Amino acid sequence: MIPGNKDNRDGWLFSLPFLLVFILFMLYPLVHGLVISFFKWNILSDKVFIGLENYKNIFSDEKFYTSLWHTVEFVLITTPVLLVLGFIMALITTSKSPLKKAAENVFFIPYIFSMTVVSTLWAWIFQKQYGILNHVIGMFGIQPVGWLTDPKWAMWSVCIATFWWTAGFNMILMSAGIKQISSEIFESAEIDGANYRQCVFRITIPLLKPTIVLCLILQIIASFNVFGQVYVMTGGGPFGKTRTLIQYIYETGFSYFKMGYSAAMSYILFFIIMIVSVVQYISLGRRSDE
Amino acid sequence: MKKKNLLILLIALLCMATLFAQAAAETKAGPRIVTFWSLFTGGDGEFFDAIIDEFNKTHTDIQLKNDTVKFDDYYTKLTAALAAGNAPDMIVCHQGNLLNYVPSGQLLALDDYLKANNFPVDDFVAAPYNACKFDGKQYAIPLDVHPIIMYVNMDLLAKAGIKDIPQTMDQLIADGIKVQEKTGKMGIDIDNTTAVYKAYTLTRLFFSFIYQQGGTFLTADNKAANFNNQYGYKALQALQDMVQKYKTTPAGLDYDTAMNEFKLGDAAFYFNGVWATGTLEQQKDLNFVAIPVPGFMGKPAAWSGSHTLAIPAKANIDPAHVADILTAIDFITGHGEMWAKAGHVPTRISVQNSKAFADLPYRKGYADSAASAVAPPTTAAWDEIYGTCSDLLEYAVVNNQPIQEALNQMEATVNKIIATY
Repeated sequence: MIPGNKDNRDGWLFSLPFLLVFILFMLYPLVHGLVISFFKWNILSDKVFIGLENYKNIFSDEKFYTSLWHTVEFVLITTPVLLVLGFIMALITTSKSPLKKAAENVFFIPYIFSMTVVSTLWAWIFQKQYGILNHVIGMFGIQPVGWLTDPKWAMWSVCIATFWWTAGFNMILMSAGIKQISSEIFESAEIDGANYRQCVFRITIPLLKPTIVLCLILQIIASFNVFGQVYVMTGGGPFGKTRTLIQYIYETGFSYFKMGYSAAMSYILFFIIMIVSVVQYISLGRRSDE
Repeated sequence: MKKKNLLILLIALLCMATLFAQAAAETKAGPRIVTFWSLFTGGDGEFFDAIIDEFNKTHTDIQLKNDTVKFDDYYTKLTAALAAGNAPDMIVCHQGNLLNYVPSGQLLALDDYLKANNFPVDDFVAAPYNACKFDGKQYAIPLDVHPIIMYVNMDLLAKAGIKDIPQTMDQLIADGIKVQEKTGKMGIDIDNTTAVYKAYTLTRLFFSFIYQQGGTFLTADNKAANFNNQYGYKALQALQDMVQKYKTTPAGLDYDTAMNEFKLGDAAFYFNGVWATGTLEQQKDLNFVAIPVPGFMGKPAAWSGSHTLAIPAKANIDPAHVADILTAIDFITGHGEMWAKAGHVPTRISVQNSKAFADLPYRKGYADSAASAVAPPTTAAWDEIYGTCSDLLEYAVVNNQPIQEALNQMEATVNKIIATY
């Protein structure tokens, strides 16, 4: 370091506002959360140190396992579908079709709605007695389905609403990736007589690999954190069969005031997501470098 | 170089000026402000705002300032504010939630202040007033009770040839079946599956039926479940039979559907809280009565919540300020007939006897339910017990789970929950 070198000093000065916010609102709560998880605390009284007891209790808590399973269910259903949907939408918006600008808007606009708006809207579409979906299938003579009240369908219904809402995000990432593929490759493939399917599967997808891996990792992290749309549409029901882990963490902390236990659960979730992301990155990320 | 340094210095000084920002100091001559938070939204919110406006219109020395919070975030925001010492002067709080704040000393014990200000303590109905006492001290003043009641569609009853309102469980079931046979409409409208809203009605009726038989949900010291006995068995059996055996109630019925079925005239007997009255009475051509839940399994008793008004405890609180707050509480509870428009039952005897209250349609019919209202047990574990039992009861009723197995499971779960508090 050269004394008096302005670059470093200026760099620190300009980063300072963001760093302050980052430390205050992200680092400090992260560390504080870990500390709380070793105590028994209901916010308004003093903390009581209980060591690893919160973590021990998690392993014998049936509701923790069912909630975790419901979250994993959600991840397993939504991740592949959102990737495929996003990819198809990206293909459409990067094609030569005259509708592509309109398609881009239609696909992306749902993403800008807030979670509550989307969830309430779809909750009424799926409503068993008065919802429009049952009204439509009724016209074909099918009995009304309890989309949100039948445990067979409830999670799928929430997933369908999620597809409509967030597929646009993957589309944006992937269409950016597709646009980066040099058009010369496609042109030379056409000259060699490749048809559309071969172009997609042999050129687009392999060259899009880094973007797909990025989307996959982001998607899984986001899906593990699912809470809003499930909570609003089904309240965790029917009979608690769609309660996600984040909902259980939220209720434990803010409805039952068991802050320490809630913090411990959130750290277990953190470790699960971290392990999954690291495994993904190592197994998929590195291969694309070879 | 110098100019750049000067510029940076100026900008830094300007930014620091914001550190001194504060609201303009209140003039001493203006009215004294009492701040409060209320959790009422929708129809409830409008009626409550009307009472506040009336207070502000008729009082020049004290003004109420309201800061309504959307219901879902209310208790989170309130807890955070109490922990940070930023709570307002007065808060609306469900009676069931008071226990979250009393043991840690967050709420002011009111007894001395009530005496000093000649607060009309005797004008309150005993049951809800005493429900706000903890360890013998008064921590809140009840604004209303809102129990579960029964709504009956009189037109459907007439069509089915039923003359009297059923008073026993056997009569209720028989009437429900008769309505379905003669009119094709739903007999007994009790929601039993969670969709957007939790199907609490099922749990509330299970709770009520146990108390009607003379039992209690938890033991007297709130340390263990007390419903795995003949009372719980009979209660759960009746609710399950409605869906599985007599088919007076469809499975998979959620709160919104249950409400709208009755509203549209497609159900004969509907169970819900008094708050539904406001919505139902706006439906033209709906000929219904609203009455306290009959003692189907014994003496009348019904689950009830209660909205209360409480004062957050603050260091060095000024007794004169508390006097102002109590003036406001006196006014708000004293104008219970305005609050009753939302459907809730007022807690002041003078209001219940007033002409203004009697003139409201339907309200007088279920005012007696306040006397048979049963508040939930006062234990910090109640929220978790209530929510978890709701899931288990839903499952048992909709999936025809053997009653004893369901009760055993519920008992084990409840005892496990209590042990974690």
